[in-house]
Amino acid sequence: MNKNGYRADYVALLVVAVVLALVPVGVGGGSYYLRIATLMLIYMAYAVAFNIIFGHTRQLFLCFGALAGSSAYLSVILAKKLALSPWETIPLGILFAGLLGGAFSYVSVRRGLGVIFVGIVTLVFSMIFYNLILGLRELTNGETGLITKGLGAGVLEKARWSYYVILAVLMASLVLYHFLMRSRAGTAFRALTDDEFAAELVGIDVTLYKVLAASIGSALVGAVGAVYAYYSGFISPTVYSLVSVDIVVLVTLLLGGMGTLVGPVLGGVFFTVLDEIVRPLGRLNVLVYGVLMIVLFITFRHGLVAMLRKIGKLRIP
Amino acid sequence: MIAILVDGIVQGLQLSLMAVGITLIYGLGGVLNLAHGQFAVVGGIATALFVDKGLSPLVASSLGVLTAGVFGLVVDRTLLLPAYRSAGEERLLLGLLITLGLSFVVNGYLDFQYPNIALTLHLATPSVNVAGITVRTASAVTSLMAFLAFLLLFVFLKGTLLGKSVRSIIQNEVGAGLCGINPGRTRTLIVALSAMMAGLAGIAQGLFSSLGTEMGNELTTFALIVAVVGGVRSVNGTLVAGVLLGIVNAFASYYVGAYLTLIILLGTAVFTILLRPAGLFAYRT
Repeated sequence: MNKNGYRADYVALLVVAVVLALVPVGVGGGSYYLRIATLMLIYMAYAVAFNIIFGHTRQLFLCFGALAGSSAYLSVILAKKLALSPWETIPLGILFAGLLGGAFSYVSVRRGLGVIFVGIVTLVFSMIFYNLILGLRELTNGETGLITKGLGAGVLEKARWSYYVILAVLMASLVLYHFLMRSRAGTAFRALTDDEFAAELVGIDVTLYKVLAASIGSALVGAVGAVYAYYSGFISPTVYSLVSVDIVVLVTLLLGGMGTLVGPVLGGVFFTVLDEIVRPLGRLNVLVYGVLMIVLFITFRHGLVAMLRKIGKLRIP
Repeated sequence: MIAILVDGIVQGLQLSLMAVGITLIYGLGGVLNLAHGQFAVVGGIATALFVDKGLSPLVASSLGVLTAGVFGLVVDRTLLLPAYRSAGEERLLLGLLITLGLSFVVNGYLDFQYPNIALTLHLATPSVNVAGITVRTASAVTSLMAFLAFLLLFVFLKGTLLGKSVRSIIQNEVGAGLCGINPGRTRTLIVALSAMMAGLAGIAQGLFSSLGTEMGNELTTFALIVAVVGGVRSVNGTLVAGVLLGIVNAFASYYVGAYLTLIILLGTAVFTILLRPAGLFAYRT
C-alpha cells in the first residue's frame, strides 16, 4: 500500500477520536446517556478484537464474554484476596486471556477444526466459564456478583472522566489494529483469509499467524473486560454472558463491516441507536431484536462500511 | 442403581430425539440450527394450548407435533432460503446467524404472547411395575415414543427410496443433484421431520416435569452437545451419544450434583471435538 493508503487511516482515526470525544458534550450532564455512550465504547473495543480474530483470520470465537470475564474475575479476585493493587492484577488478567485465546487457536489449528467447530468449542467454553463462576461461590459470590471500585488516582471513578479513559483504550486498540494491519502480520492475515492453503504454499506460517491474531485479540478482550469491571462497579456472570457480550459484538462487527478499520466504530454507533429505539418496547424488545437481526443478516451482511464505500465512492479504511 | 440407569436411558432418548434433528439438518442443509430447542418449545406450547381448549392430551400432542412440523417447514421455505443460496463457509455462517435470530424471535414472541403458559401433562397412573423395577409411566411413554420415532426414522432412511436420496445428499450434495435428486425438496421434508421430532421431545419434557417458554436455549444446548459427541453427520452416533450422555447425566447428578454434571457434559463435548472431530463413533475414512 502507498502513502495515501495510510493517510486515509490517519484521517479516519482522527475523525473517530474527535467525534467520540464530543459525545459527552452532546449528551449534556445526563448520567444515563453518558453510561450508554461509555458502554458503546466498550463494545466497539470488543468488536475491534473480534475483527482481528474473526474478521481477519476467520476463527469464530464465541467466548468473548468468557475471555473478558476470566480476565476481570482473575484481576478482581487476586486484588481482593492478596490485597494487591488493580494496576498489578490487570496485566495478569490480560496475560491470562491472551494465553487462553492463543491456546484455543493453537489447538484448533493443529486439529484442523473448521469454522463451525471452533465456534462450538468456544461456545462450550463460555458455558463452562458461566457455570464455574456460578459454582465457585466462595470466590465469586455466584449470581450476586462482586463489587468493584475505581483504580485510584481518579481513574475510572467519575463518570465523565471514565468515558475519556475508555475512549483512550478504544483509540489505543484502533491504533494497535492499524499498525498490526500494516505490518508483516497484516499481509499474512489478508493472504490467509483469502486462501489458507495458498498462503501456506507461499511460505506463510498459517499456524503462527492464526495463533498470533487470536492471542492479541484475546489479550485486548481481557484488557477491555478488566477495565469494564472497574468502571461498572459490579461484575456478575450475567454481565459476561454469551447474550450480553458475544452476540452484541457479533452483530456490531457485522453491521459495521468485517475486516475494516472503522467498521467496529460505525457498527457500535448503529447498534447502540438501534438498542435505544427497541428498549421502550418492553416485553416485545427481544422479538423486535430478533427480527432486526434476521433482516440485517440477510440483506445487509457486508456492513455499513461497504455500503458507504459504494454510495459515497469514498475510500473508507 | 437400576432406577438411575433407567432414568438416564430415558433422558438420553429424549436428548437424542432433539439431537438427531440437528444432525440431519446439518448433514443435509449445512445449517447448524441454533433454534432447535425453540422447535421443541413451539411443539410443547402448542400442545399446552390445545389441552387448554379441552382436547384430549393424545389429540393435543399429535396436533402439537404437527404444529412444530409446519413451523419447521415454513422456516425452511422462507428464512433459510438465503442460506441455502450461498455455499461453503458463507452458508454455515449465515445459517448460524439466521437461526440465532430466529431463536430470539421465538423466545420474544412466546414470552410476550403466552407469559404464563407451561406444558404439564399428567398421566392417569404415576408408575408401573416392570420386572420388579418401579418405572414412572412418563418414562415408559417417552421411551415408547422415542423408540417408535427412531424406528420409523431408520425404516425411512434405510428402507425407502426417498430415505436413500436423503443419505445420498448427506454424502454429496452436488453428486446427488447430478443423479436427479432435488436437494431443496428433500431438505424441506427433513427439516419438517426434525422439527416434529423436536416437538415430540418437548412434549416428553412436559410429561416429566414441565416445559416453559424460556427453555428453548437450554434444550438447544443439550441437543448440540449430544449432536457434537455423536458426530454431526451420523444418525446412529447421535442416538448412542444421547443415551450415553443421558446415563452419565443421571449418575453424575445423583453422585456429584447438578453443577459439576453440566461441566462434565460440556467437558465431554470439548474433548470429543478435539480428539475425534467426526464424533465418537465415526468410521475412519
